[in-house]
Amino acid sequence: MRRSFVGTHKWKLGLLAAAALSVILWSGGWDALTGQSSKADRSKDIFSPAHSSVAQAVSHFFGYQPEAKQPIAFPHNLHIGEVELDCVDCHISVERGPVASIPDIRTCWNCHATPLTNSSEIDKLKTYYDKGQDIPWQRVYGWLEESHVRFNHAPHIREGVDCSTCHGDVRQMTVATRAVDHTMEFCVTCHREKKAPDDCLTCHY
Amino acid sequence: MDRRDFIKTTAAAGATATLAGCGNPENQLIRFIPEEPLFPGIATWKPGICSLCSAGCGLLVRVMDGEAEVIRNGQAGILKMGLAKKLEGNPDHPISHGKLCARGQAGIQVTYHPDRIRQPLRRTGPRGSGQFQEISWDEAMSEALSRLNGIASADRKTLGVLTRPLSGQRGVLVSEFLEKFGAPPATVFEIFGDEVLREANRRSFGYAQLPTFDLARSRYVLSFGADFLGTWNSPVAHSVAYGEMRQGRPGLRAKFVQAEPRMSQTGANADEWVPVKPGTEGVLALSLAHVILKAKLRTSSAAGRAGELIDGWTTGLQSYAPEAVATRTGLASARIERLALEFAEHGPALAIIGGAPLAHTNGLFQALAVNALNALVGNVGKAGGLLFTPRPDIAAARLAGRNLRDLAAEILSSSRAPVQVLLLNDANPVFGSPPAWRVAEALGKIPYIISFGSFLDETSALADLILPDHSFLESWVDDVPESGTSMSVASIAPPVMRPLHQTRSMPDVLIEIGQQLQPPLSLPWKNYEEMVKAAVDVLPEEPGSWERIQVQGGWWGGAPMPQPNWVQTARRETPATEAQFDGRSEDYPFHFFPYASQAFLDGSLAHLPWLQELPDAVATAMWSSWAEINPRTAQNLGIVQGDTIEIKSLHGTLQVPALLSPGIAPDVVAMPVGQGHQNYTRYASGRGANPLSILSGVTEPETGALAWAATRVRIGKLEKSAQASPLILFSGGMQEHEETHR
Repeated sequence: MRRSFVGTHKWKLGLLAAAALSVILWSGGWDALTGQSSKADRSKDIFSPAHSSVAQAVSHFFGYQPEAKQPIAFPHNLHIGEVELDCVDCHISVERGPVASIPDIRTCWNCHATPLTNSSEIDKLKTYYDKGQDIPWQRVYGWLEESHVRFNHAPHIREGVDCSTCHGDVRQMTVATRAVDHTMEFCVTCHREKKAPDDCLTCHY
Repeated sequence: MDRRDFIKTTAAAGATATLAGCGNPENQLIRFIPEEPLFPGIATWKPGICSLCSAGCGLLVRVMDGEAEVIRNGQAGILKMGLAKKLEGNPDHPISHGKLCARGQAGIQVTYHPDRIRQPLRRTGPRGSGQFQEISWDEAMSEALSRLNGIASADRKTLGVLTRPLSGQRGVLVSEFLEKFGAPPATVFEIFGDEVLREANRRSFGYAQLPTFDLARSRYVLSFGADFLGTWNSPVAHSVAYGEMRQGRPGLRAKFVQAEPRMSQTGANADEWVPVKPGTEGVLALSLAHVILKAKLRTSSAAGRAGELIDGWTTGLQSYAPEAVATRTGLASARIERLALEFAEHGPALAIIGGAPLAHTNGLFQALAVNALNALVGNVGKAGGLLFTPRPDIAAARLAGRNLRDLAAEILSSSRAPVQVLLLNDANPVFGSPPAWRVAEALGKIPYIISFGSFLDETSALADLILPDHSFLESWVDDVPESGTSMSVASIAPPVMRPLHQTRSMPDVLIEIGQQLQPPLSLPWKNYEEMVKAAVDVLPEEPGSWERIQVQGGWWGGAPMPQPNWVQTARRETPATEAQFDGRSEDYPFHFFPYASQAFLDGSLAHLPWLQELPDAVATAMWSSWAEINPRTAQNLGIVQGDTIEIKSLHGTLQVPALLSPGIAPDVVAMPVGQGHQNYTRYASGRGANPLSILSGVTEPETGALAWAATRVRIGKLEKSAQASPLILFSGGMQEHEETHR
């Protein structure tokens, strides 16, 4: 039986449509098509094919990242503002190594072994500790594996870059939220201002 | 699959990827509280000791924070901990000098191996079925204790230990444990053991230990079959010295001659390769001595005791004239003469014997002959010659119990097994011993076997209880090297990381058993760490030394070569000079030449995937077994590369693909040892063939060491239908390809 043109070439047409769509996406034309620009601003000049799936590429293109849902509503404001702790007291390796480090529950336990205030959040902490479990904090910042970004905290701290430059005013936050969008543009602008190297290989290797 | 299915599948895959992207799979497992302080992202380097072979190279281990999937209190979860990430040589260590061989590099995979035994096991199925049940340490220890307590006090000699060679405090502990228990000394099993050479060195020089070669200061090296750069003795130490010898002295590049019937990796480095007939290496050595004596370059008395051990030495070895031995050795007399004169005239010169020449029935004679040649040129204890490593006084005397062949024979011939409980430590004789010894059958007659193995292998599959050991990165390790340096060395390293699984270190388990036995054994240490510390305390005093030793990975210092220790023994007969072979040469025309594989040594490392995928440095083959045959022999038999051939001895048959190699004598068939495991983790099981399974059980008569090079075989091409595992070559093998360069 002779089939219609569309029936015979369905897969080719499908590919063609996909290709057309990707060209539109690549050129940033999607904004024009949809009129959406507020979210797309986040990383509008990068559409990298280096993603593990199309869906991931698309969501990255629109700057969509799920907000971290923390297991305990940790009040940064209280710890920095009222208790006057320093960032480094808990994020111990920020001055020494590449990662700032998220403290494990033993750090909390230094002070919270004896209950300081009545709070359901501190009860949660105790529950974790009694079960021998660490708190499953979720990551707030970070790059996709595929973007091959390497970041080292220590030299930035040594140069006197304030934590808030990249992480916002954590003193005002309870749980940390993504206050600053770590786009390449953000990094490069600052690097150029401060005459820091802006070679690709400074960050991508 | 048609296009429609393809599109459907990709769509489904896309959806799955989206889902995975949304969820956060790493948060699905619970996280345990870390057990140690960690500075994330910052690496520390800790000392270690490689335990994969007996050389005892010092390591530096890169340790960094990481997340390990572990089980704690019966619950699976993620634990942040300091994890070993990379092994390198310790630059300060007198054996490794900052270098490490490929096997050592792959040693990291022992710790993270997916088939490691993670907690004690009790056998549930029949022996050898590999059916085990995981049990708790409390249960396991009480079962082990009740078995050991169940041995009546009059019967305590029925406790046996079967182990790989143990140096350092592990060896001391095993000896002490057995002695205090009232049991006989341990049986040590090692396929490529060096008992013959130790015995020869004891007789010739007064040192019952492996020699160290001062290659760096040598001007002429003549090696008889010794793969000292690859798998034998202390390969890293000798490779470093070899580099010095060839390139470290401007204007002086020593000559290196290798005499062996199959070109080893070491032979491939030589200036001259001498295909001497198997079992005639000793004759060649004496023929060289004859030429030197005849030319009056040395006097026969120069060789001292080493010379006196050789028949006809004082009369100039008349029966070893080059013309007389030319046919036996397969070498032209002019060549023998030239080699002899070169050897005598380019001092300091060094003769080395190791590997296959010692594994003949005349191995002891061959070693004594080469020793005499060394003594003749006066290189023992001299720069550029043969050295013996001074050993601090804390090493165990070599555990010297019954050898395995005798033990097996004794078990098989008695109605009630002379061993009622066997402790098995890291030895795999079911894989590694010749079938004629009937080791598996003998082990089957032992009522109860406790294994300390980290992996199930052919031997530990026979165990009734498995008390898994830590890996060498997770436990205290110590070692007193037998060779490889002129310094006095005691390597000591604390654990570089916490144990991943529910394992306990063998010495700690042994000490605990000793404490809990009824009545307890009076072992003076609470745990192994204390034992190591107590041993170090007797070393020459240095301020703050215990802390420093832990940081640098051991104790070492300059020391003179020890005084020879001439043990008086009843005069024995002069060992046989003629090698005997198993199988008549008319029926079995080929010498079978198994050799220690560069990747797996004796097969104990076949479970490491990095080593499986390591191409052999000469043959370029990997992931498989192969038989090396001479291209001319192959042509005569109608064999082309990759054909499956059958190798048949009096004791068994193997089917392996043929690899044509110009570096092998026409009457020799060689096969690397290491593959052919039936039961040894996912990476090694059912891969290739085991050459040891067709070996004859003949031994060197005076030491009882297996003469693993004394088997003769016949080979034939199999029909295409009979396919052994295929030959996997990294490149085109050893055939030469013509290349046109424009």
